[in-house]
Amino acid sequence: MRDQSISFRVKRGIGIAMMLALLAFSLLPILWTLILALRPATHLFEPIWSSPTALTLDNIASIARSDFPRALLNSFITAGASTLLALLLGVPGAFALSKRRFSGKFMASWLLLLLRMAPPVGFVIPLFLFYVQAGLIDTHIGLIFAYTSLTLPFVVWSMWTSFNQIPNELVEAGLMDGASLWQVLRLIVLPAARPGLVAAGVLSFLLAWNDFFFALVITRSSTTTAPVAIMNFVSYASVDWGAIAVAAIALTLPTVPIIIIANKYIVQSLGGAVKG
Amino acid sequence: MFTKRRTVLAAALMLGTALAGPGAFAQQTEVDVLLFSMPSTLGLQKLAPDFEAETGIKTNIEVVGQDVFESRITLSFTGGTGDIDVVHTPAIQVQRWVEAGWLAPLTQTLSGMPDRDDIIPATLDSFKVGDDHWGIPFFAETGLLAYRKDLLEAAGKQPPTTWEEMLDVAAAIHSPDTAGVVMRAAPGQGFNMFVFPMIMRAYGGEFFADYPDDLTPTFNSPETLSALDVYIKLLGEYGPNGVSSFNFPEVVAAMQAGQAAMTVDGTSIVSQAVDPQKSRFADQIELALPPAGPAERAPALAVHGLGVSASAKDPEAAAKFVAWATSKETMTKLALNEAYPDFTRASIAEDPAVKEKYAGIQADFLDLRIAALQEARSDYRPLLPTWPELGAAMGENVNAALNGMMEPQEALDAANEEMGYILGQ
Amino acid sequence: MTSVRASAAMDRSYKLMLLPASLAVGIFAVAPLVGMFVLSFTDFHLIRGWSGKIGLQNFLRLAGDARFLSSIYVMAALSFFGVVAQVVIGTAIAVGLDRIVKSWRFARGIFVIPFAVPHIAVALIWLSLFTPTLSPITAFFATFGIEVPAMLTSQTGAIAAIVIADTWATTPFVMLIVLAALQGISPDLDEAAAMDGATRIRSFFLITLPLLYPTLLMVALFRFIETLKHFPLIFVMTSGGPGRATQATNYYAYVQTFQSSNVAYGAAIAVFLFIFAGIISFYIARSNARLSDA
Repeated sequence: MRDQSISFRVKRGIGIAMMLALLAFSLLPILWTLILALRPATHLFEPIWSSPTALTLDNIASIARSDFPRALLNSFITAGASTLLALLLGVPGAFALSKRRFSGKFMASWLLLLLRMAPPVGFVIPLFLFYVQAGLIDTHIGLIFAYTSLTLPFVVWSMWTSFNQIPNELVEAGLMDGASLWQVLRLIVLPAARPGLVAAGVLSFLLAWNDFFFALVITRSSTTTAPVAIMNFVSYASVDWGAIAVAAIALTLPTVPIIIIANKYIVQSLGGAVKG
Repeated sequence: MFTKRRTVLAAALMLGTALAGPGAFAQQTEVDVLLFSMPSTLGLQKLAPDFEAETGIKTNIEVVGQDVFESRITLSFTGGTGDIDVVHTPAIQVQRWVEAGWLAPLTQTLSGMPDRDDIIPATLDSFKVGDDHWGIPFFAETGLLAYRKDLLEAAGKQPPTTWEEMLDVAAAIHSPDTAGVVMRAAPGQGFNMFVFPMIMRAYGGEFFADYPDDLTPTFNSPETLSALDVYIKLLGEYGPNGVSSFNFPEVVAAMQAGQAAMTVDGTSIVSQAVDPQKSRFADQIELALPPAGPAERAPALAVHGLGVSASAKDPEAAAKFVAWATSKETMTKLALNEAYPDFTRASIAEDPAVKEKYAGIQADFLDLRIAALQEARSDYRPLLPTWPELGAAMGENVNAALNGMMEPQEALDAANEEMGYILGQ
Repeated sequence: MTSVRASAAMDRSYKLMLLPASLAVGIFAVAPLVGMFVLSFTDFHLIRGWSGKIGLQNFLRLAGDARFLSSIYVMAALSFFGVVAQVVIGTAIAVGLDRIVKSWRFARGIFVIPFAVPHIAVALIWLSLFTPTLSPITAFFATFGIEVPAMLTSQTGAIAAIVIADTWATTPFVMLIVLAALQGISPDLDEAAAMDGATRIRSFFLITLPLLYPTLLMVALFRFIETLKHFPLIFVMTSGGPGRATQATNYYAYVQTFQSSNVAYGAAIAVFLFIFAGIISFYIARSNARLSDA
């Protein structure tokens, strides 16, 4: 039964107008970045409508020739590896936190949240000195560990909520059939928690992928990641806007398909988490 | 919860590393160089194979953005990581780094250089702390005026030679399309405090009662107040919309796009305004000496050198690299390959090929630069270990006055008081 | 939710499951934090080193530091307006996608894109949009003879600029979570109310919104904590200016640590932020525990 009165149509029209405005707000800065990426230095900030044909691929070519692609690869390696590591360590931990009976659950969840709260400025120097002692400066492994300190609390926190939605009866039934706890986790619980797993994986990948701070502190020439490499286009006397725009797009592009594909799962799993 | 022992361990770990230093690194002849990005350092990176061929020493030159550089260098020096042997050393940092014990002296290297007299003395002196030299200069930029000759001609004005004239010319050419003048304004020791002292000194203002002997701050003097009034009037009345938050990228862009008719800034900024690859008004922009005032003409000065880290793995190889990079031969190559009029050896300006190249920008470009350098004072920004803090305190208050958040006198008083506090600490 | 009853052998398995994660968290996340606390009680200075002194001097200095107190004000403004804007707009988009324009399947993907842009790039993009001489917005309105005022030259404007850039980049996070929660709430509830005579919009405010409340609260608290850590936007867009008008607390900690070399004092500011955020996270953890144990 749909209300088709004029007042309804007006309201719906206002709603659609609002959505279009919000879409423009989201999209126009991206469009602006695309334009900057394609502009030659002499027309960089000129309104696009006054010189619509002044376009160039030079910015893209110069990025392709620079160290940026290697930095992008470093970002992929470290964010990917840290996500895998966080899932490997965090999923069993989250499972235990969700299904084991113990009194410190609240404290554990608070601690996990706390770890995301610390302002990096405060712990950067201790962190750096710790890494120097451990010989982890400018190594992939060092950066992967650092990212894991971001991604692991996140994975544990979000998988914990996902596992809470898996009925205990499912676990108990599995145990009754003689399976070990590990088998129950692998064969019964994980398949049921797949949306949560995908969501946790994707969001923790993004967390590491977007990091600027850890990479700034821990990496040197051989393991620089893309967000730090972007800052290399801000030089002593000039800012290479075209290169920055291309780099920002290059850094955003790979994550867009991941987000779109995972979108369904993210919404499913978060939806579940929120319902409780 | 953590045991006490663990806390103590963490503390020991943290504070001990500073003393522990490197040690465990492989003993091969290799020099790690950290530089921040500018045409000359990128050019140096390209020339590195020459050095390797000459000496058999392997180099690993990393060129990063300035902000990345500053965080990294602080951490690496604090941690004594030994991952940097040769370091880009801005003159304004030398005192601070030497006090912290982060640099090794280069006095011997310098005296071993066959043609050391060729190095422009003012640039060399910037690296002298106590009896030693802690860096060898490879870059010196100075303040210049850039102006649109077409607009000045149309208004029947001569290029300004004083800040008073600059106000007058700006008023005559200011229009909604093209602002009379644009200058950096963002708060920071390397931002507004790179250009403001040009006006301050021109009006007779000084940072201190008698630098370096008497460091009583005098930033709230009547002379500095007149200079601040000029700065505020120039930008407030004849600057483009929003100028009081501009930093160098916005200044460069405004000149290149023809949104402003004049600027006074460092060589590396004004030379981008006359670069036809980037600027649509390159052929209309002329360069001249920065305006003077009742007291003097005080062109800005920024000197950068190469230093050797105190924790360098092989100090001798590192020093060899510094000597090579600052040699006449390397600098000449750089001047020819890159946009690098900022060399620090006087004889390069006499090289016919170099002369011809930079005459392309403007016939008297190199002469202008030398003339400005000769007038520039080596203490343009005072060489003190606390300069970064002092500069920030002044820059932030000057910016507040420019944005009308404080009265000019009030801002200078506040800055002066903060300077006293910083120096008294 | 109650837990599965466990035998001794199972308990061992559980402990084994928890061990690697706890160790990893302990080593890589907790150790630097301990270092931060230790530093905050020393007088460690980048140039002068550590004199051996340990005490509360940094915290005593905080109490009387006018710049610290005004940085809290800036931080509060950035957080308050940022969180309100992000929650309101994020909810509006989510409700729109779920109730108004259900057929716009593509739109969800588009709305998420800004979330994938790294913060450094967000800061540079919005710096160019807020600089009148560079901005296409100014150029567009100038063709109609309208002058867009400069944002970054007043405290209000600069704070608004940072809030807008932050909102652009992080609203998708709010949107995703609210969208998820909305899909658990049947639109039939609103329709039923509508049949009882309430208008659709009224019934949304009466029925759906109260059901969303716990989600909104959680999202708001999450965003609040993130906004306490503002750094790249301030660093790139305003350098803390005009004057010192956008030096939020976290930025001030950076200034003290790296610009003034007062590492220990910077750490003390960070400890203050950490404790403050800890109190907030206590409420998140508690409300979450209620939600999942309900």
